[in-house]
Amino acid sequence: MKRILVIDDAATVRLYHRSILEELGFEVSEAVNGLEALERVAEGDFDLYLVDINMPKLDGYGFLRELRGKDMPQAPAIMVSTEAGANDQKLAFLSGANLYIVKPVRPERLASHVLTLLGMTSNGRGAPS
Amino acid sequence: MNPLLDQFITEGRDILQTIGERLLQLEDTPDDSALMGELFRLVHTLKGNSGLFDLPEMTRVLHAAEDLMDAVRDGRRPFDRPVADRLLEAMDFVLALIDEIGDSAESAPPNTARHANDALELANALRSLLAAAQATTPTATETEPAPSPTPAAIPFESLPSRIQQELAQRLEAGEPLCWLTYEPEEECFFKGEDPFHQVLQLGEPYWRRVSSREDWAPLDELDAYRCILRFEAILNTPAEALHEHFRYIPEQVQIVPLQPPAPSIAPAPSSEPPPDAETAWSFNVVLEAQREILGLTDNPPWLSGRLRAVATTLEAAFASIGQAVDRDALQQALHSADASQSSQPLLHWLDEQQRLGDTQLPAAAPPPTTATAARPEAPEAEEPIKFGRRAEDRLAGHTLKVDQVKIDRLMNLIGEMVVTKNALPYLANRAEEVFGTRELAREIKAQYGIINRIAEEMQDAIMQIRMMPVSFVLQRFPRLVRDTARRLGKEVRLVMEGESTEADKNIIEALADPLVHIVRNSLDHGLESPAERRASGKPSEGRLTISARQESDRVVIEISDDGRGIDPERIRRKAYERGLIGEPELERLTDQEAINLVFAAGFSTAEQVSDLSGRGVGMDVVRNAIACVNGTVELHSQLGQGTRLQLSLPLSMAVTNVMIIESAGQRFGVPMDTVAETVRVARNDIRTIKRRLTTVLRGRLVPLVTLNDLLGLTIEQAPNGDDEFAVLVVRIGPDPLGIIVDDCRETIDIILKPLTGILAGLGGYAGSALLGDGSVLLVLNPRELL
Repeated sequence: MKRILVIDDAATVRLYHRSILEELGFEVSEAVNGLEALERVAEGDFDLYLVDINMPKLDGYGFLRELRGKDMPQAPAIMVSTEAGANDQKLAFLSGANLYIVKPVRPERLASHVLTLLGMTSNGRGAPS
Repeated sequence: MNPLLDQFITEGRDILQTIGERLLQLEDTPDDSALMGELFRLVHTLKGNSGLFDLPEMTRVLHAAEDLMDAVRDGRRPFDRPVADRLLEAMDFVLALIDEIGDSAESAPPNTARHANDALELANALRSLLAAAQATTPTATETEPAPSPTPAAIPFESLPSRIQQELAQRLEAGEPLCWLTYEPEEECFFKGEDPFHQVLQLGEPYWRRVSSREDWAPLDELDAYRCILRFEAILNTPAEALHEHFRYIPEQVQIVPLQPPAPSIAPAPSSEPPPDAETAWSFNVVLEAQREILGLTDNPPWLSGRLRAVATTLEAAFASIGQAVDRDALQQALHSADASQSSQPLLHWLDEQQRLGDTQLPAAAPPPTTATAARPEAPEAEEPIKFGRRAEDRLAGHTLKVDQVKIDRLMNLIGEMVVTKNALPYLANRAEEVFGTRELAREIKAQYGIINRIAEEMQDAIMQIRMMPVSFVLQRFPRLVRDTARRLGKEVRLVMEGESTEADKNIIEALADPLVHIVRNSLDHGLESPAERRASGKPSEGRLTISARQESDRVVIEISDDGRGIDPERIRRKAYERGLIGEPELERLTDQEAINLVFAAGFSTAEQVSDLSGRGVGMDVVRNAIACVNGTVELHSQLGQGTRLQLSLPLSMAVTNVMIIESAGQRFGVPMDTVAETVRVARNDIRTIKRRLTTVLRGRLVPLVTLNDLLGLTIEQAPNGDDEFAVLVVRIGPDPLGIIVDDCRETIDIILKPLTGILAGLGGYAGSALLGDGSVLLVLNPRELL
């Protein structure tokens, strides 16, 4: 089963993402900031990361830089932002994100991106009911 | 209610709480950039959360607040009083909305549209602060134009899918299409601009849309002269021509030449089942993003990881549209990219892969069944959905948030348990006396001992859960004191101590209203205006201290100020004028006794009733509210020096320990916290002094009253065989007092239920309790009786 790590300091957002991803049949882990996310990563591999930008202790950029600096299999990362600024996207890509999306994310859209990044064909897809 | 909404409400309240605290802290240290950063993040998070729901009013206000905080954080706008005021106001509004949502039992947030006007006003007020800041620093406006939409922000997904597909075809055919977003400024009508004309002048677009940038205000509020339109269009016009067209208002438009999309997403011939729009869209977006990442020219230490992530992503993306990938070639490209610290090899691979995909595409769009078989992951995703928390053990945090109702239920259950177990001794007695089985009686008593111990431990454990810090009620005071003092034109510094002192939830909650009243009183009547303070040689800033501490099994809250204090002379006069005391008392009352008169019902010393503390509620209400939870109030005051109010409350109130007494053939309970001791007094030792019964206890004169007198019974108290009376010594106020009863019995734990209905008016009783044998025990309230 594919494992996804959801990193966000807002419990509401984590629950939102979790419910969408679990409905697609993925295993979801959570972290409330970048530091905790790194701990999760140290415990086991993930197939995808959903990363918030603004977080206490270690923000999304910092987390990605740390993650990409590790000598380990590198899974795709989606940066989930509240802002659509040119700089934010650039910064996200520079830090090592593979996709930059803006909150609030429609469930179908998130599902679609996640499936694409996990290499699943359209037949495995379907918007969560 | 749906769990997501539930979560949103809980988290929202927490965040608002913290925002309030941080704002007040920031007022003290306006240069604390860490604090500012945290504040911004909190507002930002809350806005993000609200965006998950259809709550336009909340989102609007939070968005404005976020923008303002952003400006403050960047130093574009100083953090001052107006900013704090507006933000606090905005957060109050958001809290009210959250409360409203929390109160509705619907699974979706209720429609909050009727707050639209308030939201609009608040948002405008916040933005006006921002505008003021920008006006004062004109250079900032020039050098930092409002962030305009970027290529990434082009909402392709909102285009009709037919347009999306056609667009791809046209771009491939080499049409020089441009994306235009034009957001006229709000005051444009006053500057002689005609946005609609501007757009029409551009000629026939390939596609065009006009929308509003924010929700329309209700019709009667709508400002028709404020332009909030957004024009979007895809035009077959070169970007240069467009720039020329909008040369006077370049900051209001965004012009983006559209690139041909990756060829592979060109719609397949109609005979083929086309990949659904979402898949194609997603694939396209992901591929574009990887191209952009590969186009980056920096060389950070994590470049290798970034390249590997891109390779993984690319492989997955092609797999997702069912296009075969030469993994070896990809690995090789990755390897040489890594070795040369350059993205070029991967870009080459991507070009090659897309060229291949072009020719392969018809074959690569296989019928669904083949695809399913080809990708092992796909069936996984189709597995029956399993709910539940698979990663529960990894859930963030170690604290469990539990609904109050559940704890209250536990509390009630343990309460019933405590009462029910009390039936066992009765049962043991019956076994012995009625059925004559002493052995069984002993066993029952032994079992009772065990159950009793477990029940007590359980009760203790539950009490621990219910313990909460006093800060729960104190946290509102910084704000309350600040706002109230400002309205009264006073300068007040609030000092809080011992906020972490814990007490039972009910006690803490019972504290809330009296405390508010006391603090308001202090601000209103106690503390003087800055001028008055300076005149009497005090610092102009008054000091109000709220402290909490634990003293044995009670929690003591002290509210003290360094204000003008209470004038006993004035109290005497007022009390006399109001007929609360007679002429003899006017002379006889000590200063302390006079001060205590403020607790008398219907007493108010304020010369004029202000709208803050003088709501017709006097200190008597405070005392009664505190007494309801078995608390006491003491008032000390020094004229010109200040006033100190001391509240003493039990740590918990769920179970009351009472002594059972007998009088006139009936049983009554007396709360143990009022009983100092029980003694037997021989009839000969009771004297009548000044027509009052008195006895001497350890060299001290103790006045006596009989319970039957207090209860209005005409029966004489009955002495025991040795002609001794049972006396309950109670301590109410500073001096002990003896109550003569017929007999004192055991003490038991009871769940005290207040009297309700018409019985509620009987002040002499604290309440009633059910005993283990099923009978009802009336519990006396000596404070009221005496």
